[in-house]
Amino acid sequence: MVAIFSNALTWTLLLPVLGALVTLITPERIARWAALVFTAATFALTLWMFFSILGGPQGFAGFGSLNNPQFAVNVPWIHFSAGALQFNINYNLGVDGLSLPMVILNALLSMLAIIGGWKKNRVREYMALLLLLEAGVMGVFVSLDLFLFFLFWEVELAPMFLLIGIWGSETIKHGMPGRVYSAWKFLLYTFFGSIFMLAGILLVYFKAGGMDASMLYLSQHLVGGTVSFLGITVGAQLLIFLLIFTAFAVKIPMFPFHTWLPDAHTDAPTEVSVILAGILLKMGAYGLIRICLSIAPAGMQAFAPWMAVIAAINIVYGAAICLVQTDMKKLIAYSSVSHMGVVLLGVAAAAGLGGANFRMAAITGATVQMFSHGIITGMLFFCVGVIYDHAHTREIAVFGGVAKRMPLLATLFTFAGLASLGLPGLAGFVAEYMTFTSSYASWPVVTIISVFTMILTASYLLWMLKRVFYGPFNAKWKHLLDADVREAIPLFVLSAFIVLVGIYPAILINVITPTLQVLMHGFGVAIR
Amino acid sequence: MSFQISNLYELAPELSMTLLALVVLAVDLFVKRRVITVAVSLIGLLVPLGFVLAQQFSGQYEHPKTIFFGMFIVDHYALFFDIIFLIIAAVMILASYSYIHKYVRSEGEFYALLLFSVTGMMFMASTNELITIYISLELTSIPLYVMAGLLRTDEHSAEAAVKYVLLGAMSSAILLYGFALLYGLTGTTDLGSIAVSIGKGVQDGNVMLLLAGGLVLAGFGFKISAVPFHMWAPDIYQGAPTPATAFFSVGSKAAGFAALIRVFMNGGLWQENLHAMVLIMSVVAVATMLLGNLVAAVQSNVKRMMAYSSIAQAGYILVGFIASFVSRSGSGNSAVLFFILVYVLTNLGAFSGIIALAHATGGERIEDFRGLAKRAPALSAGTALCLLSLAGIPPMAGFVSKVFIFTAAWSAGLGWLVIIALLASVVSLVYYGRIVKAMYFEAPLKEERLSTPLGLSSSITLTTAALIVLTFAASIILAATNPAAISLLTALK
Repeated sequence: MVAIFSNALTWTLLLPVLGALVTLITPERIARWAALVFTAATFALTLWMFFSILGGPQGFAGFGSLNNPQFAVNVPWIHFSAGALQFNINYNLGVDGLSLPMVILNALLSMLAIIGGWKKNRVREYMALLLLLEAGVMGVFVSLDLFLFFLFWEVELAPMFLLIGIWGSETIKHGMPGRVYSAWKFLLYTFFGSIFMLAGILLVYFKAGGMDASMLYLSQHLVGGTVSFLGITVGAQLLIFLLIFTAFAVKIPMFPFHTWLPDAHTDAPTEVSVILAGILLKMGAYGLIRICLSIAPAGMQAFAPWMAVIAAINIVYGAAICLVQTDMKKLIAYSSVSHMGVVLLGVAAAAGLGGANFRMAAITGATVQMFSHGIITGMLFFCVGVIYDHAHTREIAVFGGVAKRMPLLATLFTFAGLASLGLPGLAGFVAEYMTFTSSYASWPVVTIISVFTMILTASYLLWMLKRVFYGPFNAKWKHLLDADVREAIPLFVLSAFIVLVGIYPAILINVITPTLQVLMHGFGVAIR
Repeated sequence: MSFQISNLYELAPELSMTLLALVVLAVDLFVKRRVITVAVSLIGLLVPLGFVLAQQFSGQYEHPKTIFFGMFIVDHYALFFDIIFLIIAAVMILASYSYIHKYVRSEGEFYALLLFSVTGMMFMASTNELITIYISLELTSIPLYVMAGLLRTDEHSAEAAVKYVLLGAMSSAILLYGFALLYGLTGTTDLGSIAVSIGKGVQDGNVMLLLAGGLVLAGFGFKISAVPFHMWAPDIYQGAPTPATAFFSVGSKAAGFAALIRVFMNGGLWQENLHAMVLIMSVVAVATMLLGNLVAAVQSNVKRMMAYSSIAQAGYILVGFIASFVSRSGSGNSAVLFFILVYVLTNLGAFSGIIALAHATGGERIEDFRGLAKRAPALSAGTALCLLSLAGIPPMAGFVSKVFIFTAAWSAGLGWLVIIALLASVVSLVYYGRIVKAMYFEAPLKEERLSTPLGLSSSITLTTAALIVLTFAASIILAATNPAAISLLTALK
């Protein structure tokens, strides 16, 4: 008990849950502040963890890895043994250089989402669900036991279903309000993916002896051999990889499982889109690196060529389809498909044929892309949310020259757009540059095709910005107000992070490198 | 083995339960106030509960103890089910307090019937002999038939009752046929002796044993509403008064499984004909899961939907049982016991919510539930959480209980069964989600707030809280289910 409650990570999970309860029982006026206080406390706690490791004796090297997680706690939770069956779930938490940036990102975006959603109707329930969502996602990033990971993976479903379904948009889609359609689509896609993950987890758990489901144990006791099922014999590694990866592929989202994403984004309220693009998609990418790469390296390697090809489809197709979008939010949603393709490409390159240094650089690029896509796309969605709140439409065509009326928002939106298209000096450039330069060593053709998307990315973003903010002023919008202080706070905070990572990426890269080095070393040993 | 007066202590939970039912009947005769009847029932339940807990923690029953010439058995398995049945009785009495007079005129009888039926269920879990099992089954069922018909002026209720009696009689006949074959093969009705006899190799060949096993499965299949013996469930769930439906959905099913598992495990049927028997059971389990889930997804009446949902849940329980049957170990049954406890709590909670909401809105169709989240937020939240638990979404205990069953089945080499069960649970998400969607996503028909009576709100709060606690305290329950599952296997050691 003491071990559990004296652990900082337990509190990153508990604070949002407590916050949700407090938010629900207090009157509306206090509830908002309560939600803000609890998310801010969580954010402060994650920052404290970051700086206490950084200020420790080892500095950047102290972030550890799967073998040596920080703030670790490992307490038996469910020990179920009957006959020959041993089924153990441990309360096994810990962070390292791979997960801590995600934890901080989650805390940050959740806090900003609370600020952004200040004026929602039924605000108490809204904030309580956002807080529960934060807790669930936090659990995914900090759990080091596969079953616990799966539990948290599922926790996020219910709040997200309700958030999209209750507060989403009313536009009719397929004969029902879009919010209902998209909430269903999100729920069913994700749940469908996750049953494969459970099957994969059970497979790897029993193949590895059926004693311990901790990621560390499974990464040190790799399973081999083959599995026969209905007369088909497959390598165990490949099968485990494919089963578990299905859940991640839906979440990332990887082509052809991506169709839930544009729907969910267009119908979700602004803050939920921010969380969805900023953090939920990263759960898939995180799982891919943390779990697939470490417990099914051979399966990963066998699938890597396919993954590279699919990554290129994600990148090119996502970007091309952006060009024809008429809705700003849908455009940004598809740009997420494209940008998450870069993460996939990085991971595929890390498992590919290149030299060890290139593969290391590729995985680092993918991880940096996870973080920078989180802050950049989060900011883009906030910007669209402000426009939508003021103008009640997101149609690109009806705007024109509104920068005259909204100079502050126009500046910040343009800034975020430039970051997204990879302007040097901003966060997006660092990640994409690293990934593309190093993935060339593994998959040259795929990389060459993918790199050309930079042109597409620039054109759809700049074209959208031009049509909305610049050009001849549409007199219809002469009463449009600029973003107020509350709306601008999340934008300024995120732009500060974008500039920080862009100008001084070392602060992020130094954190993740030691962890990834251990990971890639293990991977290299496993596939040799 | 012979009769001793001190053996009455082993029988004390059932005896006190019978007495309580008689007392309630008498109290109702003289005092026509519902609150008194309910108070007497609830307080009276503490007596059998006390006996059960005393036996559970006395440590005397680590090894099963048979009394009354081997007819009655006290082991951890029986005690675990006793606790489940007592929970059912308590929550049912709470949940039916507010509305039972709207459904039936004879309220006192409702409670007495309920308690008699629960007595029968407790016997079903603790008998070790075929004829006693049959008698306890009838003791359980006959009050249920009456409860289905308590809406005397309602055609649907009368139809439900008649259907229930006829189909129940038929299933009893099938069960008896199976029992008769078992007796014919082994020359005894005592489960322990049957196990020994089968272990030595039955004389008349294995096909007869297979037939006997199949008939027993069919007979109990009616009680647990497994496909293809499920046809009664939707009609009777819909026609019977909703509190009675809630009781059928948990009580009848739990008792059916208690006796089914007892006969198959204690009776040692797993010693012969394993492949054929497992195949039959697997087909039943797969059909139950698929049909239950798929048909539930297209229902528009909430009670019918819950009927199919309870059919589907029976399929998952069968998967766990098969795992134990195949691996001849306690793992599957241990998961089954946990699952049944969770299922009972969840269904009681969901039905409490449905009783309250259906009564407040006056309809039982899914569209009548539209927008209830705005009109009765706490009640809707409780109901939604129970439904999420049935769908297997964390942090509700339904998630853990499903994972246990699937893990046990996977380790017993039944991976294909697990895959089917997982796919079926995707379908289940659709119909549980539909009610959540109706309650939360759609505009309310009226604006005024609904008030929830005390009995229902307390039963739904208790069950929902229990479901969250069970997730975190799963280890404590498993510490009780493990010895219970293992005690089923000790007969032959």
